Amino acid sequence: MFREIAESLRERPVTEFALKTALRSIGITVPEGVVCTELPGNLGLSYPLVLKVSSAEILHKTEAGGVMVGIQGRGELEDKFRIMKERFPDSEIMIEEMINGGIEGIVGVSRDRNFGLSIMLGSGGIYTELFQDVTFRLIPIDETDALEMIGEVSLSKFVNGFRGLGIDKAALAKFLLRVSGLAGAMGDYLSQLDLNPIRIDGHRITVLDAKLIKRQSR
Amino acid sequence: MLEDLFNPGSVAIVGASSNQMKIGYAVLKNLVESGYRGKIYPVNPRSGDILGIPAKGSLDQIGEQIDLVVVSLPAASVIQEIEACVKLQVPYVVIIPGGFSETGSEGRELEKRIGKIISGTRTRVIGPNTVGVYFPHSRVNMALTPPDRVSFPPAGEIAFISQSGALGLLTMDSISEYGIGISAFINLGNRLDLEETELLQYLSTDDRTRSIAVYVESLRDGREFYRTLKEVNAIKPVVVLKSGRSSASAKAASLHTGAMASDDRIVNGMLRQAGAIRAYNEIELLDYARTLAHGMPFTGTGVAILTTAGGVGVITADYVSSEARGIGMRLAKLSETTKDRIRKEIVSFGSVENPIDLTADGSVASYDSVLGILSEDEAVDAIITYALPQTPKMDTGIVDIISKHSRTKPIVVGVIGSKLGKKLLIEFEKMKIPAFPSIERTVKAVKVLHDYGCYRRR
Repeated sequence: MFREIAESLRERPVTEFALKTALRSIGITVPEGVVCTELPGNLGLSYPLVLKVSSAEILHKTEAGGVMVGIQGRGELEDKFRIMKERFPDSEIMIEEMINGGIEGIVGVSRDRNFGLSIMLGSGGIYTELFQDVTFRLIPIDETDALEMIGEVSLSKFVNGFRGLGIDKAALAKFLLRVSGLAGAMGDYLSQLDLNPIRIDGHRITVLDAKLIKRQSR
Repeated sequence: MLEDLFNPGSVAIVGASSNQMKIGYAVLKNLVESGYRGKIYPVNPRSGDILGIPAKGSLDQIGEQIDLVVVSLPAASVIQEIEACVKLQVPYVVIIPGGFSETGSEGRELEKRIGKIISGTRTRVIGPNTVGVYFPHSRVNMALTPPDRVSFPPAGEIAFISQSGALGLLTMDSISEYGIGISAFINLGNRLDLEETELLQYLSTDDRTRSIAVYVESLRDGREFYRTLKEVNAIKPVVVLKSGRSSASAKAASLHTGAMASDDRIVNGMLRQAGAIRAYNEIELLDYARTLAHGMPFTGTGVAILTTAGGVGVITADYVSSEARGIGMRLAKLSETTKDRIRKEIVSFGSVENPIDLTADGSVASYDSVLGILSEDEAVDAIITYALPQTPKMDTGIVDIISKHSRTKPIVVGVIGSKLGKKLLIEFEKMKIPAFPSIERTVKAVKVLHDYGCYRRR
């Protein structure tokens, strides 16, 4: 399963939508969404919605003005969609359901010249960089590695629930194993994979933003 | 493989010298004094006898099989000796001098040339830029230190691989004080040929070695190291001191070794994944290696503490149960039966609650009974016991008592004191019981047994 998906992402530039579709096919939850150039009449999505420019070239969408959140109804959606098209006339636009609640986390894959691919889990939110609440393992990991990783970051404090928030340890471990599996199958062409943020609500773990950086072919 | 290196039948020292200021003197002197029983060939074209042994003019003139050659000549003269070693099919060559890749491009070229000469031959190289090797079981001491300056540990069960020669020698000198033994010391230096992974693999099969201590500043191939570490750790425990944690020290290490540094958080994750115990300094490195060589790994978290000094017990309890400045485990909840039984053994003002305090009245006999009772309580996964020699009823008989009980439960011993304390520590070491001269070091040893136990159960 991982190998097929990894191969499908190897050649062409990968948009966020394509990456999320790939993640979905390996059992990772992503928000319901569509990608389009013109706004369809019937979306089949529930409000609130998020608009994002869908382009393999634009990596920092928010900084480029390519993200609009909290869209509450059709009128607002049409207005914002038009603004987005004006900003990015050559790009497709992704429309996604907005996910609220839960606990923010980060999962990433990076390449070290000494150790090769490693997977990272961190507590999320705006203070992640400041608190450095992260842990690493070399890819591939096994289930014990995944459970140990969870135990090493503050996210584990939610395992027994806190103010209505909770983390299902087994579900998060499975999530990490899937990311490790996909990254391992990508192998040589993978430089960096960022799932940031992920939203954890009990056993439901949703990837809100996903980025893939490939290695320059040598 | 590597057996001829660890247990050579004959050794030649190229550059052996009767000049006491030369390394070629120190190496030969150390070898002779360590009581090596194999054949020794000093090689020096300008000398007759060195330390009473007739010197040969060159390796060629020895005319017999040589298992190990130690080269102690300036860098520029090494090449021709390596060529001779290849021709004579010498299996192992230790190249002591510096002046190779650690000095710049010219040295790097020289090192590459050696690499080319040995490539595809049966000759393997340790170094260059090494302080030498020490294998006490075969009485091979080929370190470059003046014999009156550095003490060497006796034969024991810890193998010590060090990328830094000086750190290795200093550490060996320190542990000798307590009679802590090692099975091997190898300073790999520039790692032109032989490196950690191959040594680890060999040591995992070496019956004299029960645990392995590794000091590294950089890794030639991180993935390969990880794979090997994981494999070896499943057979016997490996403790790793990896320096270069901060970017500033990583820079120093990379200047030192010419290698590229990795994010320390990845190194940390890698070590956990491989089940290796991480040490952060030279004390921890040998403490942990010793703990794992002698101690009994376990998986529970309940620790019982036995002491004759109340304060020591309380501080130990803090270190056992605290996450910060502690090991984040817990005090074993003793059963009522256990407490009733202990009550009969100790004075009324002692404590039957964990930490158990026998007070200054505690005797070797009461230790025997209480350790026996604690060993039978299922809530107790490991025992920290103190052997404090300052009270009148305590004597060296405590060593045998603790030794007896450490066959049934994991036990780590703390000894605090000076003269008598040191004597006790040496006795415990002889009986292969992990014992440490401070509360913190004692408690941390318990955590190491626990972590390795958990890894082995995976």
